[in-house]
Formats: sequence, C-alpha cells, structure tokens
Amino acid sequence: MKVLKIGDFVIAILSAVLVSLSFLSYGNLSGNPTVHIKSGANEWIYDIVHDRTVSISGPVGSTVIEIIDSRVHVSHSDCSNKVCVAAGWKDSVGEWIICLPNNVFVLIEGDRTPTPGGIDDTAF
Amino acid sequence: MTQHSNKHHPIRIDLVALLAAFTLFLSTIEYLIPKPVPFMRIGLANLPLMIALGILAPKEYALLALLKFLGQGLVTGTIFSYVALFSLGSTTASACTMYFLYRIGKRWVGMVGIGIAGAMASNVVQLALSRYILFGPGMWLIAPPFLTVGFVTAVLLGLFAQQFVNRSVWYKSKVAS
Repeated sequence: MKVLKIGDFVIAILSAVLVSLSFLSYGNLSGNPTVHIKSGANEWIYDIVHDRTVSISGPVGSTVIEIIDSRVHVSHSDCSNKVCVAAGWKDSVGEWIICLPNNVFVLIEGDRTPTPGGIDDTAF
Repeated sequence: MTQHSNKHHPIRIDLVALLAAFTLFLSTIEYLIPKPVPFMRIGLANLPLMIALGILAPKEYALLALLKFLGQGLVTGTIFSYVALFSLGSTTASACTMYFLYRIGKRWVGMVGIGIAGAMASNVVQLALSRYILFGPGMWLIAPPFLTVGFVTAVLLGLFAQQFVNRSVWYKSKVAS
C-alpha cells in the first residue's frame, strides 16, 4: 500500500510555502536591531548596542531584562515556572522571549534603524 | 466502514475511551517537552484523532475531540485558564479540517497530507487567538517557529499514522467491524 498520495505532496508544498512566507514577519533582517519590550498597553524600545537593565512590573511581580553586549535576556522574574529566564540570551532579529504569567513580551526587531542618538527609552 | 453508513449506530464508548486514553497519554508526553510558550503544541495528541478518522462515526469523532481537549486541560492544569481557549480552538480547527479532508478527499490524500492540514489549521487558529487576545501584531514574530515545528511534526506523525493504518491488524479489525 502506498504511503504517500498526490494530495499529500500538494498539501505539503502549499504548507511549506505558508511556512516560508511566515518568515517575512521578521522584516528587514539587515536593519539595526532594537529590543522591544511590551507589557500590557505599554511598549518600550531600546537600542541593543547600549547596555542597560530594565525592570518591568506585571501582574505577578517584576521581570528584570538585561541588555549586555548586544544581547538580551531575562535575568529575573517573579513568575513561578521561569520559562522566560530559562530562554537564555537572544541576539538575532526575530528572536523573542515571553513571560505569559507576568504579561511581558521581549522581541528583537530589525526593521527600524535608530536615528542618531538612538531610539532610546521611548515609551508610548 | 460499515459504521459510517449506519446513522443509528450507537456510540462505541469503549473504543472512544481507548483512543481518548491514548490522547491523554500523549498529552502527558507532550507536556514533558519544554516549549517557549505554554499553548504551543507539537501535536502528538493528534495521532489518535488521525487514526480515528477511518474507524469512528461523526458523533464518536466529535466526542473524541472533546475528550482530547478536556484531557489536555487536565494534564497541563490549564483547563480553567485562557490556555484552554487556545486548546479548544486548535483542537476544533484541526479535528474539523482533518475530518472533512478525509471524508472528501481520502482517495487523493493520505495521513501525511491530512496531518499537515490539521496542524496548519491548528497553528493558524492559535496564532490568530494570540494576536487578538494576548500580544497584538508583534505576535506574528512567533509564527515561523510555530508553523515550522507544526509542519515537521505533522509530517512525521502523518508517516507514522499512515504506516499504522496500512499495517495494523487492530485497525483493520475496527474498520471491518
């Protein structure tokens, strides 16, 4: 009995195209990376090349995010399972860290080039 | 597949329960695998739903999908959280997609295609829910790993399910019953 039928190949090819197209969400990979931190309705954008430590307050306490040597990680979180801390360092455009219990979303975007002086400490 | 032609066939609780227990076991295995967000699913628990396509009547299949949702919620402890909404949405989407694809196109599509279509439907629903409920437009950045993992595991599960359907004496006995 055949393992694969013609429809399997059609669906696999269409799905592979869909998966490939999803990578377009990473935007301009050559852009200067910025760290976007979202918590509820607030969003902060930091230049990844400037070292800093940011503490975000959320529903279960604080989430401490460190940007060091053009990398970002969650160094401490008051959530129970610490998946965000275990995620480790991220340094590439499109990488992200999520702390669902504390509603904090950290992602590196690359399609917004900071102006001289940098997009720094911008909150909106 | 005589049971499909008999609209008044009683629900075979023992068979549905066996497959539901299988989903519970696979949900437990899946729970042990670390994931970056709790509602991400590898799709192991979809395997019984794939195998059930050829042996369960529509009502039995719907019951199995419901039991899979409840079982996953119990195993992961998320049945009373927002994660349950993701699980319900993804299970409904994948079960409906696989069921109708099997009913309409089983001559042309095997378990690999059905599994991929179910996984894509499940992942797209999860991404849409997370887009509108949790994180807004930025959530699309998690689409590539979500869809890639779903695609790869669906191919592997589909190959396994197809081999099972082709070779299992138990499966053939249930189809013939």
